[in-house]
Amino acid sequence: MPGTLPLSRRDLLRAGLGAGTLFALAACGSGSGSGPAAGGSGVITWAWQLPTSWDPITSSAGSDVQMLALAYDALTALDPSGKAIGWLAEKWEYNDEGTAVTFTLQPDLKFSDGTALNADAVARSLNRARTAKGSLVAPQLADVQEVTAEGELDVLITLTETNFQYPLLLAGKTGMVVNPGVFEKDASVLATTAAGSGPFTLTSYTENDHAELRKNPQFHLADEILVEEFRLYPAPDAATAVASAASGQYNVVRIGAANIDAAQAAGLEVQVLDSMFVAVLDVNTTKAPFDNPAVVQALKFGIDREKIRQVAKFGVGDVNYQPFPKGYVGYAEDLGEVYAYDPAKARQILADAGLSGGVKGTFSVTAPPHPATEQIQAQLKEIGIDLSIETIPGSEWTQIVYLEHAKALGYDGFAGRESPVQAFQVLFSETGLMNPARNRDPELDAQIAKVRATPVDDPSYPEVLQEATRIAVTNFPNVFLYNEPFIIARQKSVTELPQSPSLRRFEGISAG
Amino acid sequence: MSRLLRIRSARIALTVLALIAFLALFGERIAPYDPLQQHPDVLAGPSLNYLMGTDYVGRDVFSRLLAGTRLSVIGALEAVTVGLLIGVPAGLASVWMGRVGEWIALRLTDTLMILPFTVFAIAVAGTLGNGLHQAMIAVGLLTSPAFFRISRAVALGLRSAQYVEAAELMGASRWWVLRRHIWSKVLPNVAVAGAQTMGSALLVVASLAFLGLGIIPPTPTWGGMLSADLGFLDRQPWAPLFPGLMLVLTVGSLNVLADCIREASSGRVQRRGLTRLTKPQPVLTPEPVLEKETR
Repeated sequence: MPGTLPLSRRDLLRAGLGAGTLFALAACGSGSGSGPAAGGSGVITWAWQLPTSWDPITSSAGSDVQMLALAYDALTALDPSGKAIGWLAEKWEYNDEGTAVTFTLQPDLKFSDGTALNADAVARSLNRARTAKGSLVAPQLADVQEVTAEGELDVLITLTETNFQYPLLLAGKTGMVVNPGVFEKDASVLATTAAGSGPFTLTSYTENDHAELRKNPQFHLADEILVEEFRLYPAPDAATAVASAASGQYNVVRIGAANIDAAQAAGLEVQVLDSMFVAVLDVNTTKAPFDNPAVVQALKFGIDREKIRQVAKFGVGDVNYQPFPKGYVGYAEDLGEVYAYDPAKARQILADAGLSGGVKGTFSVTAPPHPATEQIQAQLKEIGIDLSIETIPGSEWTQIVYLEHAKALGYDGFAGRESPVQAFQVLFSETGLMNPARNRDPELDAQIAKVRATPVDDPSYPEVLQEATRIAVTNFPNVFLYNEPFIIARQKSVTELPQSPSLRRFEGISAG
Repeated sequence: MSRLLRIRSARIALTVLALIAFLALFGERIAPYDPLQQHPDVLAGPSLNYLMGTDYVGRDVFSRLLAGTRLSVIGALEAVTVGLLIGVPAGLASVWMGRVGEWIALRLTDTLMILPFTVFAIAVAGTLGNGLHQAMIAVGLLTSPAFFRISRAVALGLRSAQYVEAAELMGASRWWVLRRHIWSKVLPNVAVAGAQTMGSALLVVASLAFLGLGIIPPTPTWGGMLSADLGFLDRQPWAPLFPGLMLVLTVGSLNVLADCIREASSGRVQRRGLTRLTKPQPVLTPEPVLEKETR
């Protein structure tokens, strides 16, 4: 045909295949695209989670603390037993009444941009946390009267009432120190950039895609950070998590219990790390059918937690009826199996309340539904609570369930908090995010006041705290289900992570 | 119909579809177990007790597959019905509704054609609530342009046919002309499009269920089963084959049936059977004409 290239269809096909192959090779070889590069020497590529915000005071998920701790330092930290230890602050001292505490900083601390991290910076950061509009940690600091810098290294926190919890409280997001030079200029940038003094500096962040962090030479334990880069990605789909680690796309991934065998078979190292995460049903007692206390009681006795642990969690984790894991100082041993599975009792409770014909309701879960939710639905149907599962996109969960309080029953998890009083605040106070009905119990409030007023090293502290746990578990509608450990699969090139129930720490961890 | 049944592949496709229809109607009744019942054997392999094994909470996969047929098929049927009800009357009417009405109908159709099925269904489900019916109304709305264009093309061609003009000159009403001369010619083409669209809709239903939209667990559907199986691939790599096979069989049969209807309606089937003419014939009778020729 005149005017056309002398190409046969076969030639064209060859050319097309060649071009396609080149494209594919180019795509695989690119390390600068949005996809992750293979984990090389000194680089951790972790498919884990991205924070809701890089600003500690507006981050809305408890689990964000893990990611924020890559870029920020808190005043204190927790040891493996959950006790407060020094971090930015090398020591602290309360006055006799417990109404003022002075934190003494380590000398020569610096933010990642090289500016001084001194008492004045800490005071300004804490004052912002308690007063800034939209601060989600402000309720934790409600009893702070003022925060002042006393010289270069001492930060004095004056309280309106006795509260010995501050060394614990300031080990988490609440105590993360943000560079005042950044937030006083434009705080809005902190949603997507970090301005702290943590082990890494955030160098690049693409929302919902990935974050790149580089070792922060100003970090006070910089010598112990053995990796140069930390690339953070959202958790992969369960179906591809193991393959993505085995292929080198990531060198650490968070996996579910169902994938442990596959990860080991793929030659990955699997670590089951302690965690404070407890799965929980959030019950809104202002909405039917849970506005009837009998239904809530039946709910607590009608769930076979052990069966869920065996089936949905593949036997990993521990059944739990309270907000703290076994071994934690707030765990009340004598509560025992307070809501052990007893379907006959659950049915009897409903019958006694005149509900022998059963009740109907809606069970809200994040999409896609976790297998546990289908088990819970089936178990509750057996006792006469017939629930329809309704899925809510994960990105809308906090807004719909916790801010609008629009749902009657939700399946979620509580990531734990550094201070048990903070945990009580989130779960059981009138302003608590995970208290959808905004229930309040004067008995619990009084006991929490006692907890605050008891020094954490006082011999009576465990008993006072555990009494608060007993009151909360028996008086509040939350249905605690089981503790879930934090399971990771890592390539052998990444060294073992230390056990820690709160933060994942990377001091001494090498990769490659 | 008799011409259609002379084609062997049509007979096979109809047999498969009849079986699927049977399962849609009676699948739940003939299932060996309650599809929602959770047995102690979790993620069990195929056995005499559980022909296709059990899923991640111990439900019998075979029973769920049978029970899941109904919602999967009903969803697709719902979408096709909505598409037919909107598209065919609008397509026929557009031929007689005048230039302005015609222009508006064509632009509306063009607009609907550029919307992607799944994204639009997700948007509608997000607005009207996450349910099968909402999603299927959305999908049906997007399938309507196919029916609109096909019925319009046939009607346009027939409108200028001499016998139609003669009927109009003799005082026949539009309704009579439509009923008597147009509808019988439109129907085979709509049937072809209907069968093809049904296959596409089935895949959209499965895709939405796969994404967690439309049908909420524990209600069984083929797409939902596929989605759930993917989380346990390393333990049951064969599990997605069962719902996948049902989808392939059903969609494949619908496509084969559509081809056969087209073939039968074009008169290319020889009396005794299986041989087809090699030269393709136009589907529409008579030939569709360009719009400008009608004006």
